[in-house]
Amino acid sequence: MAPSSNFRELESANKGKTYFLLASMGLLTWLIAYAALTYFGAGTTSFIVPLAVGISLVGVWGSYYGSDKLVLTMTGAKVITREDAPELFNVIEEVVIASGLPMPKVAIVEDTAPNAFATGRDPDHALIAFTTRILEVMDRDELQGVIAHEMAHVANRDTLVSAVAATTAGAIAMLSDFMMRMMWFGGGRDRRDSNANPILLVVSLVVMILAPIAAMLLKSAISRKRESLADATAVSFTRNPAGLRKALEVLASDTTVVQQKSNAVAHIWIESPLDGKAVSKLFSTHPPIEERIATLRAMESLGPSN
Amino acid sequence: MEIIIVLGVIALLVLFVVAQYNRLVRLNITVDEAWAQIEVQLKRRADLIPNLVETVKGYAAHEQSTFDAVVTARAKSTSASTVGEVAAADGALTNALRGLLAVAEAYPDLKASANFLSLQEELSTTENKVSFARQFYNDNVRALNQAVATIPTSFFTGLAKVDARAFYEVENPSDREVPNVKF
Repeated sequence: MAPSSNFRELESANKGKTYFLLASMGLLTWLIAYAALTYFGAGTTSFIVPLAVGISLVGVWGSYYGSDKLVLTMTGAKVITREDAPELFNVIEEVVIASGLPMPKVAIVEDTAPNAFATGRDPDHALIAFTTRILEVMDRDELQGVIAHEMAHVANRDTLVSAVAATTAGAIAMLSDFMMRMMWFGGGRDRRDSNANPILLVVSLVVMILAPIAAMLLKSAISRKRESLADATAVSFTRNPAGLRKALEVLASDTTVVQQKSNAVAHIWIESPLDGKAVSKLFSTHPPIEERIATLRAMESLGPSN
Repeated sequence: MEIIIVLGVIALLVLFVVAQYNRLVRLNITVDEAWAQIEVQLKRRADLIPNLVETVKGYAAHEQSTFDAVVTARAKSTSASTVGEVAAADGALTNALRGLLAVAEAYPDLKASANFLSLQEELSTTENKVSFARQFYNDNVRALNQAVATIPTSFFTGLAKVDARAFYEVENPSDREVPNVKF
């Protein structure tokens, strides 16, 4: 459980952990590049490392830059205006004022599961979306908590953070894939010329095999930290942990899940749509909802905070 | 060689001063913006009041003292100018409005009317917006005042013509009391 229940400390702790995890990603990339270097020599490495990073960057950059539009088509969300849901807009405007961010675009997803998400490359292109069901089941306080959580993702630039994580994880996976194939097809000829240490070669091989899994784990860990951070930031906006806590309780007690169970967009929802499908806690994109509720409850016990 | 080092040190010093100066000015502007947001929301609330009073009057014409309290508080709030005055007037108006809504509780027809319901929604969202704008303003004032009081930014307050700003406090004693409701 979190050692602290003050939202300011929670925010800085979660930010610190994200930096640490992103740095670990960097270290992992360096490790696999080094493995390539020992195994295939400088000539091949200086070609495949930039290639893998480049492909991954191009792939992720497009989806990051157009994230607001892309996610709309992937989830079937429809952008709405003030006239469609004046009360929802009122609550959103309240949180917008509390956060000092620009007003995001608002969208609705026709779905029988209560859920919500935020996306967009920066606060000026932010989009927050709600399923039709969440608007039915939540009262004003709970909805305010959910909106604050989504606006917290916008404020913390989580689309960017997850794009960076996805790029490195993608590059690592691709590198490992390249190298395995090259080994298979008798690549790495320059290996014989170099007088590489056999132990180093074995270690490099292990790194190549394990790096993609480690990268996946790191990516999920980053996503979980960003969720906890968004909960803390949400409280800094509304100063009302009870609202978000009650909202999470509603989500926890609800067993229906969002229809599109696409892995690609799982991390953006407030409650993971892949519940029960995750291999283990280590691979899930969200911290356990009970843990999030407990953290918020601890914040409530501190009383009103300024 | 020495001349390059001296020039480098001077350049770094200039950059440092510029950074501190810009930080103070930026914080000050953010406080101005946050203040403007409070004023926008207070104005919106003031604009809602005549309509609300008229609607309640239609059902509860004899609650004259409550209406008077709201109208007086509104007049005061629109003429206030300093942070302290605005905050005090805002607190008084919030109290008067609470009284008005408490009166409305006694009239089921009024409470059921669509006009009143939409006004009530508008009023409660505006109240929330006022309080969030206030919170945002105070957070920014806190950041500014911290910069004004701490080294190194404290050395440059004169240069940037930036000073500590007043918090928006609604801690007037009447605000703590339960509104006086007569039936």
